[in-house]
Amino acid sequence: MTEKRDQKTVPESLLEAWTEASKDFWGATMRAWPAAPDSSRTEREPGSGAKSRTQESWETTMKTVQALTAVMGDPGVMESVASGINRVPDVVLKVLRPAWEGFFQLQREWLERAARIGKSTAAYDFENLDQEAFKAWTEIYEKEFRQFLKIPQIGLTRAYQERLSEAADKFNIFQAAVSEFLSVLYLPMEKSNKVLQERLAAMAEDGSLPEKSREYYRMWIKILEGHYMTLFKSPEYNQELAKTLDALSEFMAARQKMLEDGLRMLPIPTQKEMDELYHEIYLLKKRLKALEKMQKQGAAQAGN
Amino acid sequence: MTQSKISVDLLLAGLADDAEKAQERAQKATDVLLEPLETEIATTPYEVVYQDDRVKLKHYKSTSESGMKTPLLVVYALINRETMLDLQPGRSVVQTFLREGIDLYMIDWGYPTRKDRYLTIDDHVNGYMDGVVDFIREKHKIPNINLMGICMGGTFSVIYAALHPEKVKNLITTVTPTNFDTDQGLLHIWMKNLDVDRLIEAFGNMPGDMMNLGFLLLNPARLMIDKYVGFVENIDNKSFVENFVRMEKWIFDSPDVPGETFRQFIKDFYQKNLLIKNQLVVGGQRVDLRKITMPLLNFYGHFDHLVPPGACELLTSKVGSTDTRDICLDTGHIGIYVSGKCQREFAPRIVRWLRERDGDESADSPEARAAVG
Repeated sequence: MTEKRDQKTVPESLLEAWTEASKDFWGATMRAWPAAPDSSRTEREPGSGAKSRTQESWETTMKTVQALTAVMGDPGVMESVASGINRVPDVVLKVLRPAWEGFFQLQREWLERAARIGKSTAAYDFENLDQEAFKAWTEIYEKEFRQFLKIPQIGLTRAYQERLSEAADKFNIFQAAVSEFLSVLYLPMEKSNKVLQERLAAMAEDGSLPEKSREYYRMWIKILEGHYMTLFKSPEYNQELAKTLDALSEFMAARQKMLEDGLRMLPIPTQKEMDELYHEIYLLKKRLKALEKMQKQGAAQAGN
Repeated sequence: MTQSKISVDLLLAGLADDAEKAQERAQKATDVLLEPLETEIATTPYEVVYQDDRVKLKHYKSTSESGMKTPLLVVYALINRETMLDLQPGRSVVQTFLREGIDLYMIDWGYPTRKDRYLTIDDHVNGYMDGVVDFIREKHKIPNINLMGICMGGTFSVIYAALHPEKVKNLITTVTPTNFDTDQGLLHIWMKNLDVDRLIEAFGNMPGDMMNLGFLLLNPARLMIDKYVGFVENIDNKSFVENFVRMEKWIFDSPDVPGETFRQFIKDFYQKNLLIKNQLVVGGQRVDLRKITMPLLNFYGHFDHLVPPGACELLTSKVGSTDTRDICLDTGHIGIYVSGKCQREFAPRIVRWLRERDGDESADSPEARAAVG
């Protein structure tokens, strides 16, 4: 045993030195108390000799620290702590491993999803960045990324987080729909420019180009109007319009719910509460007007 | 060397000429835009004689000695404002009516706010409109009045006349949609797919700016490009600029439409077309067009892209009245009220038609009407 104690490891000797130093320090501190200024002294009656609550609390804490330090100073405990310290790296590794593995798993998931983008959108050609690109983005978002916003939330703030995710999701969908709608709306411009160029080329060939610049504008605006009329009557445009308006409505509703969460913390009524109030006022006014009308008719009949 | 088929010299000369003209125009435009412009609209004096919530009744005093016996109530749409009938002196339906001796009342629907979102078509027709009509009847001590509706206000007037025929002496509908099962106008096509429930859930009321954007998209080439090119081309013309600004003021003065009213208008009218089929129910009562037995004058525009002829012309064949007339003018939805040509064709014809029927009760008999022609 003696041999063993003599052959102390580095952590063990350090720990022993630290516990000894602590014991001495806290003991001296406790003994020095009466000399230290006490903020509660003014509340004590002079010469009462009674200890203040602060001093009592301080002494109790010091005694506990001393007792703990003394226990720590016991050779058996110290040996056990020292061997525990030696095992810290193992424990830390065991705790960190699952966390790292989880993180790498998540990263792998994202990379796999990113790799799948090409497969999800095989029908769309990214080389020609046209409205198909917006469709592709929507598809990628809905298939690969949207699920992250749909992960079930837990805990006290579950409902708030869910509404936040919902608003973010609806915003992404709305953005995609608006971009696609605008690109569809721009199509007649592109087509008109192309048709005008072809027509001008043909006119140049015939030598019948107009002399006045106004004529070129007239020609272009007429072609453009025609293309817009064709587009607006198409079922595709109608679908896009309906889709964009739906996406806007859904985003507005989700944003409203999220904002109401914030408003609840302020002394401001939410729109939902105001709407309920408006509805009650509406119904009351309607009843009142009907009663007034009945009373008026009754009075008129009585007069006759 | 062959001669070029493109007369480049002429093209360049044209461009130089255009540049010179543009410079001149820009100089004059500065003078026009910096001096005081008369761009006020709806300047004819009136008095607010009745008010119910946000809805006001305007009364214009006739400027003619030979006044008509029966007052006329004009019901405008909930979309845009009634100020369109009095855009400027010389192009004012209101002033023509007053000059011709009509005692004129006009409903100002005001600006609906969020609290108005629950107001239905029933509230507008059997509530506000009926209150206004009763007020005029009581004030003039008459059993019925002349009723003129514009666009959606015309549709409201048709419903009112069918539900309260005893209170309407003569009915005039102008650019009034009653048949919604047509693909002549883009609005009729677009509204078929609209999920109005979602829209109203999100917005409460239908925002006026959103509707205006929709109207601009009906013809972006003309309404968003060509119109402003025309403005720039005439920017040195003071009178043109004044008229243009007046029209802009009116067009973009768009109140929101109460949510429930908009929802019902899209569903029951645009999507189910219930009115013309006598299946519409308002305030628990079925709207039967055959109960419209008073004389009916129906105006619409041949080039109206918002309410095309197909949406208007069926009405006269569906009502119970034998005194009906369709008049299709060669103009559009707004031109019917503001174009110079229509100032001669539209309001004066209404005045003549009303004058022919503005007699005592005997003048309302079919015989009397036949005698008037």
